[in-house]
Amino acid sequence: MLKPLSTDRWNYAMAAHLLNRAGFGGPPAEILQLANLGPDGAISFLLDYEKISDPTPDPDWAKPDPDEIIKYREGIKNATPEEKRKLQQEQQQLFQRRMMELRGWWLQRMTFGPRPLQEKMVLFWHGHFATSVEKVRNPYFMWRQNDLFRRFATDNWQTLLTATGKDPAMLIWLDQAQSRKAHPNENYAREVMELFALGEGHYTEHDITEAARALTGWSMEFQTQEYLYRPFIHDQGQKTIFGKTGNFDGDDFIALVVEQPQAARFITAKLWNFFAGQMPSEKLNDQLAASLRAQQNNFKPFLRELFRSEEFYADDIVRNQVKSPVQWLVGSVRVLECQLPPPLISWGMLRQLGQDLFAPPNVKGWDGGVTWITTNTLLTRYNDAQSLVEGTVPPLKAEDLAKKPGGPGGQKLEKVLQRMRMGGVNVEKILTPDERSDKNLIVAALEHRLFQTVLNSDQQQTLRDFLDSKTKMSDADIVTTIRLMMSTPEYQVT
Amino acid sequence: MKNEITLQTRREFLRRTVLGSSLAWTVPAFLSNTFSALQSEAADSATQTITGKDATILVVLQMAGGNDGINTVVPYANDFYHKARPTLGLKAENILKLNDEVGLHGAMGSFKKLYDAGQLSVVQGVGYPNPNRSHFRSTEIWQTASDSDRIEKNGWIGRYFDAACAGADPAVGVTIGNQLPEAFFAAKPKGICFSNPQNYRFMANGAATEASYKKLNDLEMSAPLPDESAGDMVNSGGSIAMLPAGMPMTGGRAVDFISRTALDAQHSSDEIRGIASRVQNQAQYPGSQLGNSLRLVAKLIGGGLPTRIYYVSQGGYDTHTNQLNSQQRLLGDLADSVKSFVDDMEAQGNMQRVLVMTFSEFGRRVSENANGGTDHGAAAPMFIVGNKVKAGLLGQYPSLAPQDLFQGDIKYNVDFRCAYAAVLENWLKTKSAPILGRQFAPLPVV
Repeated sequence: MLKPLSTDRWNYAMAAHLLNRAGFGGPPAEILQLANLGPDGAISFLLDYEKISDPTPDPDWAKPDPDEIIKYREGIKNATPEEKRKLQQEQQQLFQRRMMELRGWWLQRMTFGPRPLQEKMVLFWHGHFATSVEKVRNPYFMWRQNDLFRRFATDNWQTLLTATGKDPAMLIWLDQAQSRKAHPNENYAREVMELFALGEGHYTEHDITEAARALTGWSMEFQTQEYLYRPFIHDQGQKTIFGKTGNFDGDDFIALVVEQPQAARFITAKLWNFFAGQMPSEKLNDQLAASLRAQQNNFKPFLRELFRSEEFYADDIVRNQVKSPVQWLVGSVRVLECQLPPPLISWGMLRQLGQDLFAPPNVKGWDGGVTWITTNTLLTRYNDAQSLVEGTVPPLKAEDLAKKPGGPGGQKLEKVLQRMRMGGVNVEKILTPDERSDKNLIVAALEHRLFQTVLNSDQQQTLRDFLDSKTKMSDADIVTTIRLMMSTPEYQVT
Repeated sequence: MKNEITLQTRREFLRRTVLGSSLAWTVPAFLSNTFSALQSEAADSATQTITGKDATILVVLQMAGGNDGINTVVPYANDFYHKARPTLGLKAENILKLNDEVGLHGAMGSFKKLYDAGQLSVVQGVGYPNPNRSHFRSTEIWQTASDSDRIEKNGWIGRYFDAACAGADPAVGVTIGNQLPEAFFAAKPKGICFSNPQNYRFMANGAATEASYKKLNDLEMSAPLPDESAGDMVNSGGSIAMLPAGMPMTGGRAVDFISRTALDAQHSSDEIRGIASRVQNQAQYPGSQLGNSLRLVAKLIGGGLPTRIYYVSQGGYDTHTNQLNSQQRLLGDLADSVKSFVDDMEAQGNMQRVLVMTFSEFGRRVSENANGGTDHGAAAPMFIVGNKVKAGLLGQYPSLAPQDLFQGDIKYNVDFRCAYAAVLENWLKTKSAPILGRQFAPLPVV
């Protein structure tokens, strides 16, 4: 049992910390609202999200479409090489369009959806199970896995692990759909133990071979795009896994995995790292794992304890996590109360910053932490901040446009850019008239909004000097001040 | 190591490097603290010195998409070859013969010149056990130098930086492109990446903005005074006390690490743009993406950037259809771009220091497919270019006889990690086993 935070330590800064980590942060009014709820109320508001209705519609293509599959298959079968190429190209373009829509759909949910913690958990599971569209290809499968993570976001460890194993995207991603009794494919069996639930050193090569046999039969039906158990490719023989012998199937294997004490330790360490920003000490993780087991491996009560714990609000935890690119983008839009850039621009930003949603770099997912920051990604964050606050397209394209306004293709480019134009920050919305007329108040109000704390006095002075240098202080200068605040090392942590 | 220096302070470090040469600023006490911590760490490892003047340089060139090695280094006299490739098979008269059995693709005249000049080594049949035919996975295997059934977290170049370049300038690794390749992933991330030097900078809408950015990112300033952290709000700044002596760069508060990176970004971006506009190329390059990348690398080398590894790439090799035309164009571009780069290096007087190594994630199937292309395969040749290479053909050409193939693919003769071991040990002069996980016999190529 973790030690709960004493209620009299609960204040605005603690509420801000909770919202930043359990969600994606928010403007002062939202933080104040949480602060007023008290710690239990605030945590319940975020965690008991089923009480809040979520009317976001799914993309209209987010359903199985056997007709489309059959049509494509038949088309390819009887086609000349040229027709075949054309069909493949059309499908590729359709997939690309849908993926772009999907990225925008999810970012909208994270930014403006009513259940921030649920979306944060979807992001966690996406990074944990690290399935990439690069191999899965079909956007429907990617949506479906995303939806599965949402439905089971704070559910039970065994339930989630089993459901993910039978998820079509996963069946494709780690080749389980191709595994046969005669040639068991070990890919999924290995990664369940190494990357998803136990970690290296907690299983043997023999366990992998035997688990792969147990998992045979987990397959999918291509036409209906559903999981399908195929008994005739399942190995019915005896298997020995973790020293236990029986005629195990895939469900049995997952149950055996979750039964290992290490299965709780593995996932609690990862969850702590995700929310607290650093790996837990051995001692702390013992407590975390004991807590998850005491809650019968149910994540919701476990997370309630985590967010309520004194450890979660410790000095070396608060404002000591590098924002992931998603946290940076979504959180910025939220605190600035501006619009999310169009999907193509958001995608471009996230890719350049190193977090291409639905395409993690490998089966291990994103490393996170300080690895988000390189000289290049840092400068890119600083420059993307300008695009966000001014509502302009990212600098590269704006510059190219400026170079050759009348040049060939210039007009077309301009049209495209016009479509990409974003909202930018509306200063009237985030500062009162009184604040806007006084540079001291501007700096104070903005640092409160952007950092929920104060900058050091030299930095404050630099910002005031900047505003002083303007003969007549305009809203554009305030917008530039915001961009400057976002162009600091301090803004990259939360 | 012979010309190894010990880093005393960050100030000394920056003075000794090109990046610091234009700086006249006082090093904050905070920085020298972290740097002496770094130094103690560096003392335990075989830290390599970057002088920017005489160290050897490796240029890694990725041929992305899976290049058809069989039509690159062509076994033109082999009957199995022509039988498997009735339409794609290249005829003897279109081949640049290297001997009576194999020759280079006709578009690679520039490589033939390098070959004849003793500057090109062709390593035949390079691959790895249990080859994977997925672009994604096989690229990852090459990038991380892992066994095909193991997932490695970090890249082989990143592990080289970790093992041998602690405390080095951030520009020790430079990638020309938008994304850092997985090969650069490291426990302590190093290396910079950009596609256009003009965009590797803080974009300011005015001099006042730029000046404010520089002040806000001045490290001395962002370390807060202890008494400022009082109050009921949690202070954002990093505190020096959090960084005990002997801790690596990644220790301490996250914001400290970012502050150091911000300083590196500021100085490296100024320097790189300076070099790019100051240094002139002394050779004509193709106008392709690869040509432009190598043109930029040449400038950076000429400008004395203290880089040990440059990374460039050329895409488009996934030739499932219409292979003849596209591969002709790509291989011509590859050979011409590399030759221009060699000419440029020679004109600069830097060719002695430079080695270029190509790789592709896999070769392609021996038999052509029905669409005038080839599907994903396994082993393929690598090219290594430099003045000190063992020029000529290395290794055995894998057998194309149907009974020798594995699922339609040729079998590798040389593990690619033997090539990595060779460049690590004999070119970058560092032990390869700690980087590659175990000892691979270095290929006798450098």
